[in-house]
Amino acid sequence: MHEVALVDALIAQVEEEVRRAGASGRVVRLDLSIGRLSGVSVDAIRFALELLAPGTIVEAAEVEIRQPSAVARCAVCGHCAEIDQIPVHCPRCGSPEIVVEGGRELLLESIELEESSP
Amino acid sequence: MKIIAAKKILKANEQLAEANRAAFNAAGVLVVNMVGSPGSGKTTLLEALVAALRGRMRIAVIEGDIAGSIDAERMEAIGVPVVQINTEGACHLDATMIAAASRGLELAAADCLVIENVGNLVCTAGFDLGEHVRLVLLSVTEGDDKLVKYPAIFRGSHALVITKCDLLAHVNFRVERVAADMRRLAPDAPVFQVSAARNEGVSTLADWLIQRRP
Repeated sequence: MHEVALVDALIAQVEEEVRRAGASGRVVRLDLSIGRLSGVSVDAIRFALELLAPGTIVEAAEVEIRQPSAVARCAVCGHCAEIDQIPVHCPRCGSPEIVVEGGRELLLESIELEESSP
Repeated sequence: MKIIAAKKILKANEQLAEANRAAFNAAGVLVVNMVGSPGSGKTTLLEALVAALRGRMRIAVIEGDIAGSIDAERMEAIGVPVVQINTEGACHLDATMIAAASRGLELAAADCLVIENVGNLVCTAGFDLGEHVRLVLLSVTEGDDKLVKYPAIFRGSHALVITKCDLLAHVNFRVERVAADMRRLAPDAPVFQVSAARNEGVSTLADWLIQRRP
């Protein structure tokens, strides 16, 4: 996908959130959620961070990435399962009528700043 | 200090997309984001749609390409107001580009703005442009497995157009398989079969678009 564009947007967003909170100091940790069906590669996000983070507010941040799964529910037999890929057929009854929920998150969950000295 | 953000990473794009949509609604313009692989027939379908809608809908076009203005020239040749965006390497259009490009068009003089996105089944899925309808194209020569392989773009689309159907006799492409995969990914999205070369199925799609006007 376009992980470099995503990381670029992410850094701008972190800067804005920190400014809006009236805070200052280095960002030491970022928590992100990248759903397993979002089409975004976590490895490519980490690579883009290596490229783009130096010289920015997130330069020293440890980045934690949660990868929520999606849930697939069969509309015919009601079978539910956590999935990493959209299944073609229900594994229990074989029906193709499957409803998929979640797994598409692309979220900046939280930002942790260095404790500023008084 | 911890800041709980819980915000979408593409929030800036989404906010701008919403602003675009509000401007399009105010102008009474139906906006269609046309996506599909390079060579899936986006520009050719657009030419056929312009002809099918002549006298019923005034169409304006934003062409998105990495380089060149070949598609914009094709639109100019059939008398359609057009703005060309060159992304210079970027693999998708975003809401900022559409905000800028739409200022170059007289929206009040159009009923429908078609945005022809960069040919790409992956990256275009992630960026809301402020459209009302995302139309995804799949040509029969690409193969019938693409919905399984690139689900995100199909999952977020409002209709699927199977193009180059005049070639169905020559390729191993199961329309029913694609229709079943689309029902799974986007249960409410209709599936159209067209051949722009033979002008088949285009008027059905044109009628559907007319009903989508805001």
